[in-house]
Amino acid sequence: MSEFSLYLLQQLINGLTIGSTYALIAIGYTMVYGIIGMINFAHGEIYMIGSYVAFIVIAGLLGMGLVSLPIILIVALIVAVVISSTYGWTVERVAYRPLRGSNRLIPLISAIGMSIFLQNFVGISQGYRDVALPPQVVGGWTFGDPSVFEVTVSYMQLMIWAATLITMTALTLFISRSRMGRACRACSEDLGMTNLLGIDTNKIIALTFIVGAALAAIAGLLLGLYYGVVNPFVGFIAGLKAFTAAVLGGIGSIPGAMLGGLVLGVTEAMTAAFFPSEYKDVVAFGLLVLILLFRPSGLLGKPEVEKV
Amino acid sequence: MKKIAKKLMTLGTVAALAGAVSIANAETLKIGLAGPATGPVAQYGDMQKIGVMAAIDDINKAGGINGMQLEGVIYDDACDPKQAVAVANKIVNDGIQHVVGHLCSSSTEPATDIYEEEGVLMITAASTSPTITEKGFQLIFRTIGLDSLQGSLAADHILGTVKPQRIAVIHDKQQYGEGLATAVKSKLEGNNLTPVMFEGVTPGDKDFSALIAKLKKNNIDFVYYGGYHPELGLILRQSSEKGFNAQFMGPEGIVNSDLAKIAGDAVEGVLATAPKSFDQNPVNQARVEAIKAKGEDPTGPFVFTAYAAVEVMTNAIKATGKTDPFELADHIRANSLDTAIGNVKYNEKGDLTESTFLVYQLHKDGTKTPAQ
Amino acid sequence: MQGKLYNALFASGIALILTCLMVGIKLDTEGTQLAIKGATTQQWLWIGLGIGLVFLSQIFSDQIDSAFSKVPKPQLSKLLPEEKKMSVLKPWLIALLVVVMLIWPFMVSRGSVDLATLALIYIMLGLGLNIVVGLAGLLDLGFVAFYAVGAYTYALLSEYFGMSFWACLPISAGLAALFGFVLGFPVLRLRGDYLAIVTLGFGEIIRILLNNWTAVTGGPNGISGIAKPTLFGLEFSRRAKEEGNIPFHEFFGIDYSSSYKVIFLYLIAVILTIFVIYVINRLIRMPVGRAWEALREDEIACRSLGLNRTVIKLSAFTLGASTAGFAGAFFAARQGFISPESFIFIESAIILAIVVLGGMGSQVGVILAAIIMTILPELAREFSEYRMLLFGLLMVIMMRWRPQGLVPMKRPHLELNR
Repeated sequence: MSEFSLYLLQQLINGLTIGSTYALIAIGYTMVYGIIGMINFAHGEIYMIGSYVAFIVIAGLLGMGLVSLPIILIVALIVAVVISSTYGWTVERVAYRPLRGSNRLIPLISAIGMSIFLQNFVGISQGYRDVALPPQVVGGWTFGDPSVFEVTVSYMQLMIWAATLITMTALTLFISRSRMGRACRACSEDLGMTNLLGIDTNKIIALTFIVGAALAAIAGLLLGLYYGVVNPFVGFIAGLKAFTAAVLGGIGSIPGAMLGGLVLGVTEAMTAAFFPSEYKDVVAFGLLVLILLFRPSGLLGKPEVEKV
Repeated sequence: MKKIAKKLMTLGTVAALAGAVSIANAETLKIGLAGPATGPVAQYGDMQKIGVMAAIDDINKAGGINGMQLEGVIYDDACDPKQAVAVANKIVNDGIQHVVGHLCSSSTEPATDIYEEEGVLMITAASTSPTITEKGFQLIFRTIGLDSLQGSLAADHILGTVKPQRIAVIHDKQQYGEGLATAVKSKLEGNNLTPVMFEGVTPGDKDFSALIAKLKKNNIDFVYYGGYHPELGLILRQSSEKGFNAQFMGPEGIVNSDLAKIAGDAVEGVLATAPKSFDQNPVNQARVEAIKAKGEDPTGPFVFTAYAAVEVMTNAIKATGKTDPFELADHIRANSLDTAIGNVKYNEKGDLTESTFLVYQLHKDGTKTPAQ
Repeated sequence: MQGKLYNALFASGIALILTCLMVGIKLDTEGTQLAIKGATTQQWLWIGLGIGLVFLSQIFSDQIDSAFSKVPKPQLSKLLPEEKKMSVLKPWLIALLVVVMLIWPFMVSRGSVDLATLALIYIMLGLGLNIVVGLAGLLDLGFVAFYAVGAYTYALLSEYFGMSFWACLPISAGLAALFGFVLGFPVLRLRGDYLAIVTLGFGEIIRILLNNWTAVTGGPNGISGIAKPTLFGLEFSRRAKEEGNIPFHEFFGIDYSSSYKVIFLYLIAVILTIFVIYVINRLIRMPVGRAWEALREDEIACRSLGLNRTVIKLSAFTLGASTAGFAGAFFAARQGFISPESFIFIESAIILAIVVLGGMGSQVGVILAAIIMTILPELAREFSEYRMLLFGLLMVIMMRWRPQGLVPMKRPHLELNR
C-alpha cells in the first residue's frame, strides 16, 4: 500500500476510536431527549464521575497488590457503573423530576446549574489538577512497511471497539426485545398515553437516566484508561461533543447517536490529518450545520410532523 | 432585592471603613495578591499564594518593615479577564497600593491599565507575555523572564546543540504557548531552519492521535511544544504508544512533577527551558524549610518568583522609607535589588535585564538536570 | 410511618453511595504512581452528618413541606398597587428610579459602581436574548457570538482606524445584526432544539475563528489598549493619551479622581440600557412584537393567518443580535482588553439562565435576574473555593423554587366590567 493510503487508514482508525466513545456518551443524551425532550447538560459530568470512580478503584486495587488486569478492570467497571448510575438517578430525582410539566427551558437551566455544581463538587473533593494513571493496557500491533508508514493499532483501541460493539448490541437488544425496552419506546412515542396504559412513566424515565449514566460510565472507564488523565472539566468538553454527535445522527434515535458519534470522530481525525488541527472543531461544527441544513432532523432522525 | 442592596451597602461601608482604618493605622501594610483561587488553573494560583505568604511571614518575623507589619489580602480572579477587572477595581477600592499578581497574562493585561491609572504598584510573578510591559507603564514590573527570552534560548539550544533535521513547532493556541512557539519559529527561520510543521492544538483536548500520525508521516525528529504540561503529557504518552520517537522540548510551563505522572517513562530526556530551580539554591534553604514546615510545596515554578515579588517591594520600601508607589517604582528602576531569585535589575520597561532561564533535561522520576 | 422509614433509609443509602467514593477517598500520587488515601476523620464526620441530614429530612418530609408551604412565596405582582393606580404612578416611579440610578454612583465605592456597570452589561445581553428566546421562542445557545462580534468590531475599528467609541457603537450593533441576519437566514427553518445546537455551533465557530485569525484579531493575545469612551472629546485619564486632548478634570479645573472614569462608564451603561429598554418596549407593542409572541404560541395558526414566519423570526434574531453587539462594544470599552476567552459557551449559558430565571418575556424579570446573577458570585467571594459550587446549586434551587421565573410576564389585557 502507498504511504497515503496507509496514513489514511491510520487516521480512520484514530477517528473510529474517538468516535465510538462519543457514541457511548451520545446515547445518554439521545435517550433522555427521546423520552422527555430535554437536553441533559449534566450528562457529561456523569461521564467524568465515571472516570474518577474507575481511577479510584484501579488505584485502590493496584495498591492492595492485585495484579490480574482483567479482574481489576471488571471490578472497576462494575463500581463505576453502579456509582455513576446512582448519580444519574439522583440528578434526575433532585433537579429534573420536580420540574416536569413546566416550560422546557426550565430543566435546561437546572441542568446547566447541576453541571456547574458537579464540576466543582468533584473539583473540591478530588482537586482541580489532572490526575494521571500509568498505562495499564499496553502494546498493540503494527503493519505496513516501516520505511513508508507504519500503522499502529493499540490493544487499548481494540478494547474500546470491542466494548462499544458489545454495549451497543446489548442496548439494542434491551430496547427492542425486553419489556422495559418496549416501555421505553412507548414513552418516547407518547408519554401521556403510556401512563394511561398503566406503565409507571416516572420509573421508565428514571431507567433511561440510569442506562444513559451506565453507558457514560463505561465510556469514562475506557477513555480514562486510553488517555490516562482525568480532571473535573473533561466531562464538559466531551459532553458538548457527544451532544453534537447525538444531534448529528438525529436526536432521539439510538442508531443515529451511534452513527453520529462515528461520523464526528472520523471527521475530526481527517481534519486534523489534512488541515491544521486548530480547525478541527470548526470543521466538526461546520459539518453539523451543513447536515442539518439539508436534513433538518439529523441523519437518522424522524422528520417532525407538525400537528395542528 | 432590598436585602441584596442592603447587603451591598453594608459591604461597601465595611470596605470603606476597612480602607479608612488601614490608612489611619500605619502599623500594617496590605499587599494585594491577585490570581486564580478557583477554576482550571487554580493550582498555579496556589503556587503564587505559597510564595507571597511565605515572604510576608518571614518579613513579619524579622520585625516587619520600617516598623510596619505586612498583611496579605487574597483576591480571586479565576483567570477570567472580566473578573480581573472587577478585582483590580476592588483592590483600588480597598485602598491597597501594592499588588503581587495577576497570574494569567490575559488577566494581567486588562488589570495593568487600572493599576497604572490609579497609582498601584503591581509586580507579576507569572505573566510572561511581552505586551504587558510594552505600553510604557511606570508601575508595572515582573519577576519572571519574558516569553521572547525563553523562546530564543530554546532556539539557540536547538540550533547549537540538538541540530535536528525536521522540526515541528506545536502550540496550544493560548497566549503563553503561541507566543513562545512563534518566538522559537522566527528565530529558527532567521537561521535558515524552517520548521516543517507549525500548528495549534485545542487546550483541554485529550486525543492527539491524529496529530501524532501526522508528525510521523512528516518524519519529524524534533518537536518544540509551546504550552502547559497536561497537553504535552498526553502527546508524549500517546507518541510512545504509537511508536513515534522524536526529541521533545518545551517551556517552563511543562516543568511540573505532574508531567511525569501523565506521560510516565516517555518523559525521560525531554528538554525544557526553565527558571533556575530556586528551591534547590542553598541560599534559599531556610525559606524552603519554612514553607515545608507549613505543609506546603516549595517546588512550583512560581513560588519563588512570587516570594521575590514581595521582596522587591519591601526592599524598595526599606531603602526609600516611603510606601508611595511612584517613588518605589523609581527606586526599583534605578537600583539592583537582592531577592530570593538573586540580584535583580530592571530596564526602563519594567522587565528583568537578565534572563534567569536555563535548558534542563527532564527525567521520568520528576526531577531535572541541566542539559549538556 | 413504615413507608417513610423505608424511604428515609433508601435516601440515606443513596447519599452514602454518592459520597463514599467521591468524597471519602481521594486520589493521590506517590512518586509517579497513582494511589488512594482515605479522607480525614473530619471529612468522614461531614459525610456522616450529610447522610444523617438526608435521613432526617426524609423522615420529617411532611413537616418540612408544610413549613415550606407556610413560607410565603413572594408575590411581586401583588406588591404593586392596583392597575389603575399603577398607570398613574408608573411614570413617577420610573422617573424616581432613573434619578436614583444617576445619583447613586456618587455615594458608593468604586467597586460597587464597577459591579453595577457589569450588571448593566448583563441586563442589555439578557434583554437582547429575551427577544429571541422569551418573545419569539427560538432557543439560542450561541448568543455570545454576537456579543463577541460587537466587542471585536469596536476593538478593531479603534485599533486600526482610531475611531471613537460613539462612532463605533452603531457600527457594532449594525454588524452584529448583519451577522444575526446572515446566520439566521439558513438556520431559522430548523425547529426547536436543532436550532439550539446549530446556534451553539456557530458560537463556538466564531470564537475559534477569532482565536485562530492571529493576523487580524491577535488570536489568543487579544486586543489591548482599546480606547475608553470620551465625553465630547474629553478623556477621563490622568494625562491625555492623544495630543491636543484635554483630560476631563483639567477642562473643568477640578482635582483628578480615578472614580470619575468608573462613574462615567457607569452612566454610559445606564443611558445605553435605558435606550435598549425603551426601544424593546416600543417594539413589543408594535405589530412585529405581537407577531413574535403569536409565533411562539402557535406557528401553524400564524401561518394560516398570513404571517410570514421567516421574516418574523429573522427580525427577532437580528434585533437580539444587535442588542448583543451594543453590549459587546461597551464591554470592550470597559475592559480595555478583549480576548476570545471572554466569549466561551458558559457565558451564553449564563445569559440564557438570566432570561429563564427572570421569567421568559418579562423585562422587569430579566433585569432583576441579571442583577442577581452578577452580584451573586461577587457576594459569594467570601466562600472562596465553594463559590461556583454554590452558584450551580442556587441555579437548581431557583428553578425549583420559581419555575415560572421571578416576575412572570404579564400580558397586557383588558377586563370588561360586568
